[in-house]
Parts: sequence; C-alpha cells; structure tokens
Amino acid sequence: MLTTIEKIIFIALALISAGFTFHGFKTIVDSIRKGRSAPELKNVPMSLVKGAVTVLFQRTIFKARKGLSAIHMGLFFGLITYAFVNLFDVLEGLVPGFDLVYGGKHIPNAPTGLVNAFNLIADVMSMFLLVAIIVFFVRRFIVKDKALTFRENILLNPKVKAGAQNTDSLIVDIFVIMHVIAHVLSQAYRLTDGADPFMPFASFLNSIFGASQTGVHVAWWVSLGWVMFIIPYLSRSKHTHFFMSPINLGLAKQNPRGQLDAPAKVDPGAKFLHDLSWKRVLDSYACVQCNRCQDVCPANFYGRPLSPSALEVNKRYLLKEATFGSHPDLYLLPLTETVISPEAVWSCTTCYACVRVCPVGNEPMADIVDIRRRMLVDGAELDSGVQNALQSLATNGNWMSKGKRLRGRWAKEMEFPVKNATEEPVEHLWFVGDTASFDERVIPNTKMVARLFNQGGLDFGIMYQNESNAGNDVRRVGEEGLFEQLVEQNMEAFGKAQFKQIVTTDPHSFNTLKNEYPQFGGKFEVKHYTVTLLKLFEEGKLTIKNKLSHYKVTFHDPCYLGRYNGGFTAPRKLLELLGVEFVEMPRNCENSFCCGAGGGQIWMGKVAPGERPAENRIKEALSTFGESANAKTQLFVVTCPKDMVMYSDAVKTTGNEGRIEVRDMIQLVAEGVGVDA
Amino acid sequence: MNIVVAIKHIPSIADDLPVKGNNVDFDSVDFVLNEFDEQSIEQAVLVKESVGGTVTVIGVDLIGELDNVLHLALAKGADKAVKITGDDPSADSHTQAKWLSEAIKGLSPDIVFAGVQASNDLDGQIGPLLAAHLDMPYIGGVSSVGVSGDTATVSKEFAGGVGAKYAVTLPMVVGVQAASKPPRYAPISKVRQIAQTATVEKVAPSGDASSGLTFKKMAPPVAAGHAEMIEGSSKEVAAKIVELLKSKGLA
Repeated sequence: MLTTIEKIIFIALALISAGFTFHGFKTIVDSIRKGRSAPELKNVPMSLVKGAVTVLFQRTIFKARKGLSAIHMGLFFGLITYAFVNLFDVLEGLVPGFDLVYGGKHIPNAPTGLVNAFNLIADVMSMFLLVAIIVFFVRRFIVKDKALTFRENILLNPKVKAGAQNTDSLIVDIFVIMHVIAHVLSQAYRLTDGADPFMPFASFLNSIFGASQTGVHVAWWVSLGWVMFIIPYLSRSKHTHFFMSPINLGLAKQNPRGQLDAPAKVDPGAKFLHDLSWKRVLDSYACVQCNRCQDVCPANFYGRPLSPSALEVNKRYLLKEATFGSHPDLYLLPLTETVISPEAVWSCTTCYACVRVCPVGNEPMADIVDIRRRMLVDGAELDSGVQNALQSLATNGNWMSKGKRLRGRWAKEMEFPVKNATEEPVEHLWFVGDTASFDERVIPNTKMVARLFNQGGLDFGIMYQNESNAGNDVRRVGEEGLFEQLVEQNMEAFGKAQFKQIVTTDPHSFNTLKNEYPQFGGKFEVKHYTVTLLKLFEEGKLTIKNKLSHYKVTFHDPCYLGRYNGGFTAPRKLLELLGVEFVEMPRNCENSFCCGAGGGQIWMGKVAPGERPAENRIKEALSTFGESANAKTQLFVVTCPKDMVMYSDAVKTTGNEGRIEVRDMIQLVAEGVGVDA
Repeated sequence: MNIVVAIKHIPSIADDLPVKGNNVDFDSVDFVLNEFDEQSIEQAVLVKESVGGTVTVIGVDLIGELDNVLHLALAKGADKAVKITGDDPSADSHTQAKWLSEAIKGLSPDIVFAGVQASNDLDGQIGPLLAAHLDMPYIGGVSSVGVSGDTATVSKEFAGGVGAKYAVTLPMVVGVQAASKPPRYAPISKVRQIAQTATVEKVAPSGDASSGLTFKKMAPPVAAGHAEMIEGSSKEVAAKIVELLKSKGLA
C-alpha cells in the first residue's frame, strides 16, 4: 500500500524508534542492576509464567477500586489487541495486497473466518479502549479525583509537584485516543465496497467519510507514526508500567510476608537509592502511580507525612532525572531528602497494607525499613520513646524497663503451678510476650489464658526470666543488631527447653518466631493461642457452658496474625462457638485496618495530632453495629495484647465508653467456658 | 585534651532489690550502668567532638561484667576503656573513688566527668571524693559543659529553677546531672563489633579508703499508713489544713 519512498521513510523511522527504545530500556536495566542483591529467587521461569497469568487475568487489581479496575481491564485487553492490530497494520503498509477488510478477500487463501473474528475483536476493542481512556482522562483532568493527589505535608519530587505525572498521563491519553481513531479510520477508508459486518465501528465511520486511498495513507501514518514516537517515550515515563509490572509480579517476593529481607553485612540499610536492592528499584518502574497503597495506609490516614506511593513516585522521577535527565549527581542525595522525609520514615506501622494492596507486587514498606536501618547505624537522632524502648530491650530484654525476673511474676500468683519450660519438658512452650507479661492492664487476660490452658488439660510451660522480647518490632524499627541479640537470647533459652510446639499470645512474636527465626536455625511449630484454644474445643477438652448470645460482637484482625499470616478463621470460629451475634466490619481480614501500634509506633514518645487509626477503627465498629434496637452489649474483640491497650484508649478518647467495650477473645472464651477471673 | 569519664556499675533497680544478710544479694541482681553516667559519657563525647581530644572511660569492675558497659561507651564515641579489677560487689563509694583516682592520676586528665549521683550513691560522693584525691576543683549538678582553651564554661542547676554559669580553669572534676543533648543511641551491631575488636585495659586496684561505715541491717521498706487527700475548694482545703495544724499543736 505504501509507496517505495514511504516504505523507506517508515523503515528509517522504525529503526530510529527502535534505537531510542533500546537505549531507554538499557538505561532502565542498568539502573536496576545498580541496586544491591536481593534474596535469591527460586524457579524464575515458573514465577514469570505465574506473573504473566496474574496479569492476563488481572487478578491482583480487583483488591480495591473494583469499578476502575474493570475499566483498567478494558484498557489492558485493548492494548494487547492493539499489539496485533499494529503488527497487521505494518503488514498492510509493507506487503502489497495485504488487507484484512472483508475477511481478507484480497489475500489469496486467507482464513476468512479467522480474519473476520480478528476484525470484530479489533473493532470492538477499539471502542473499549476509547471508552476506557476517556474515563481515565475525565477522572484525572475533569473530575480531578483526589485519590491521585498527595497531601501538602508529603515530600514530593519538584517535577512531580509541578505536574509531571499529569503531563505523562496527558501524552499517553492523547496518544491512545488519536492512535485508535486513526487506526479505525484507516480501516474505514479501506471499505470501498460499503459496510463490513465484522467491523461495525469502522463501517460506521465509512458511512460518514466514505472510502479514500489518500485517507488510508494519512490515517495509517498518524496511527503508526504515533506508535514509533510513543514506544521510546514509554521507557521515559511512568508508563514503563506496561512492560515492567508483569516482570515485577514475576519476580515478586517469594519468602513469607512476615519475613523481612536481611540487611547487607557492610553498610546495612539504605541511605542512597542504590543502597536499596535491585528489586526495590524495579518497583518504581512497575508502579503506575495509582495511589491505592496511599488509600490503605494508616499513617497517611492519620495525617502523617507518609505516602507509600509518593515514595515510589519520587524514586521513579529521581531515576528519570538521574538517568535520562543526565543528573547522575541526584544519586548522591540521601533518600531522606529526595524520596521520603525522616518524619515519614518514622510514621510507618509496618502493617503491610500497602504491599498487600499493590497490584504490581511492590514493597514500599521494605524501603522504609531499610532506610530506618541505615539511620540507626548512622546515629540519627531517635524519638526518645523509641530510644528508651531499645535501650531497655538491650539491657532487660523487654521494652518496658522491667527487670528480667519480673517477667514470670504473674505466673507465681496463679492458683496452680505454671511449669518452667526451661527446667522440665512440656508439650506447649507458651511464649508470653512483653505486654502480656508486664502490663498491669493485660495481665488479668494472661492469667485467663493460663487458666483455660490448664482447664483444657494442655501440658504447657513458660520460660520465665529466660524469655526475651521476640524482636519483631525491633527488626521493623531497623535495629537489626538488637534483633539478632534478642534472637540469640531466645534461641539459647529454647535450647534449654524441651517442647513440641510454641504457642504465643502476641501476634507480633508469633510472626517473627514463625517466619524469621527459621533463618537463625529456630525451626519450630508456632501457633497463636486462638488456634490452640479452638483445638481444645474441637477435641472436646473445653466445652461451652454459657452461650453468649447477649453480646453483639465485631472482630479486629491484628495485622501480624491476619494479613501477615492468614489467621482469619480460628478467631471467627471461636466467636461462632460462643454463640455471640457477630457482625463483620467493612475492613476485615486481608483488608483489616491497623491499630497504629506496630513497627515501633507504640514506643513513640511524641503523639501527632489528628484522628488516630485506632479511633477511626472504633468509629467503624460503631457504625457497623448501627443504631441497635436491642439492648445487647456491643463488644470490640481483639486477639493482640497491644490492641487491648490501643483500643481501650481509643474508646475513651472518642468518648464512647458505655457504647462499646474492648475485650480480648480470652475474656469471652473464659465467660463461655465458665472460668472465673 | 585528655577527657576522663569515671563510671559506676550499680545493681539494677528495675527488679525488686533482693536482700541477703546485711546487704544487697549481689548474686541475684543484674548490674547496669548508672543512668547519670550515661549523661556524663554523652557530655564528654560532645566536648571531644567540639574541641578534639580523647575520651577515656574508666570504672571499677565489681562482678566481672564491666566490659559490656565499656563497649557501649566505646560505641557511643569514647576512645579508650579502662577497668579496675575490683572484683568486690560491695565496694562502697569511698573505696571506688580512691581506686578510680589512683588510676586516673596516671592519665593526666584535663577534665574528669562523673555522674552527679547514682541510685546507690544518692548523696553524690564519687565526684567530690575524686576531686579531693586529685586535688582539683569540683562542680556538680551540671547540665552543660563547653571548653575553650584552658577554661570550661559550665551550667549548673540549683533548686527552684535557678541556674548559674561558671567559668572554671582546667583541670576540674564535673558532676553531670544532664548532658546538653540527650544521650545518643549506640546501635547494637556497633556495640557487638566493638566487643569483638576492642581491648579494655586492666588496672589493679591501688590505695585503700573506706567510708568507715558498716551495715547493721538492710530490709525492703514496709508501707505503713497512707496519705490523706484533702478534697474540696481551695478555701475549704486551706481551712482544713489550718485545723489540722492546730490540732497537732503546730499553730
């Protein structure tokens, strides 16, 4: 179809475009390779296939924003179709007589059915694409969806602040609209014999514009000219997402969610961009900057200057300027000046919601922990509360500045002996944790757990002063050395003990014992007490005497039991056994909302103003209960000692005493079984 | 500048203090660094950072575990660590001050820092005793120290929110109440690394001085009686207080 001169021009332009594209992606790959090593991935080809399947079925995107996700799906399949469309357009341009209209009747021996099917799909997909891109265009530029913006107090790359994201989006929006219209017009102009029933959209345009050879040429050049411009451009914009997100999903974290990557031995943690592992660099190329992570971030909700997506966005624009913008000196600026503010670094609760919701497998939380690690090693000034906690953990093995010997004091006050697992063999080694061992508000519940274990005939013991804090939050604060010290202390204690499995009260201890101690040689079977209790019921060793139908109950999934470790069912089954009226909050299970205490936040001396996550959660529970007509007592049930503290406070500070009560699951179980306090 | 920090290893009061005979049961108590010494180490390192010099941390090793504390001090910026092998957990402040001063003399210090007090030295004897043995001036209750040439500018706190600034000619002994900045955190990885590589100089105790006091009895305090809270408006409270004072024959 093209004249010889046109063909020469086209091939020359295509080569130039390919050159820029190669340069673009080589630059990207080089910048990724500058990152530090990451834990070795197993069976990469299989993982890549899995990643491709995930992308093909758009599986990860529907975790949030379902409507927009459906539109994204239209865009995705539209663009996949257009990869083929463009291929055939090139053939139509270069191969004489190659023409797909009317079932490809000008091509000798063309598989008419197949060609018609392709034409129909391409034609319909063109309309989908246009609709999808117009929806996204309207969302960003007309409606100006707030979800795409960042709060004032969040550190942003100057280019981003000046609207670089909008420019990128506008260019791609205009490209898609013009490209699709030009392609369909190029087909419409080919319809010399009137409508083609397999090309309704093109036929409609044909009925308006008629057929025209000049039109075919012009439309073809507009359509493919754009492609030759846009492909190299994509490597220089946030739309590297198209290519990098499937790769990122294929290379996503294989270790358990609750296992942080260990820091480097030399210069641990991250001060500069390339102190991060190569996967964290890849993250920013996969990110399309949708801000879903920001939506679910409890620190962001609380008005803190943290946005996980701003972190990725800033990384991306820093990389762009440092590579394509030839400002390599940007690499030499600390991350805390270019990517995330120190205050934001210390706002993260490590709740994992951002990582969980990310459709492309990014882990902004891992960056934050790595930045904390380096800040600690470099002697950055710490929040006084965090410093006190760490110092106490180093000297006393707990963060509450209590003497080691006081850890088992509650057990000595029990009416039956609680075995010392380091002195005699037990079946269940109960790892009690700091809050449950020392906090006067929580100790009555700890004793209740002991009574129920005792009543259920469970052979259990605790390690008394030999137990140290398990180190989950210490590691997440970035104090890897102290974490290792605590692990060593506990491993030494475990070495003295004989037991079959570990049971924990605290989900944080549960997480690190289960997922991180194996890296230090501690391979144990670890259970949360909700699972152990449920088993006692299932084996008939505990029975419900009093049904608790007078309670209306909702349940808060703790991050480290639920989202991290999938412990959703045991607590709910216990509540079912107890016969309470159960209602589920809108944010439950995987999508549970952090209480705000994790990742060292509970140690912070300074409390920022604003509605705290725990307060918001109490309001969510109350609105879930609704204006109840019946006179049932409304309970907010928790299974984490930290939650007990956080939510009891939140009920008071929101002035909801008398409307809702915070109870530990153990209190309900004790009431159901008929064990007195 | 030669900066010396004299520290004390003391029984932890995070636990209930166990008693055995007429003294603390030293076998079943953890020893920790005196919290005021944390402040004085920080102040010493701050001085070094502003005018240069070396910081030597020195203490009496009472139970053979002083290395942990010395490593921590090195991780926080001290340059040299010395322990006096006392091996007697009951060594009192007079004894420790004598041993410390004998060892410190050899270090020809420009400034000696000590914590202003300790939970087993509430009357703050170590600093003044060191000053006496070393024949240097002593200034206690200090909340910041700045050095310029051979003069130190020292802020001292008095009761009732009153403060004063002194210019002191070196050498001197300072009893630190608080450093001018909160003590820094030493990451454990650094402490552990230092524990593997650093050398702690050992010095035998020399000299003899004791307080001359002997313990007759030691027992945990017993709660007896409770405070009475007077409630009501300020006038009512005042009236009740007057009434009480009268009834006790005090007014």
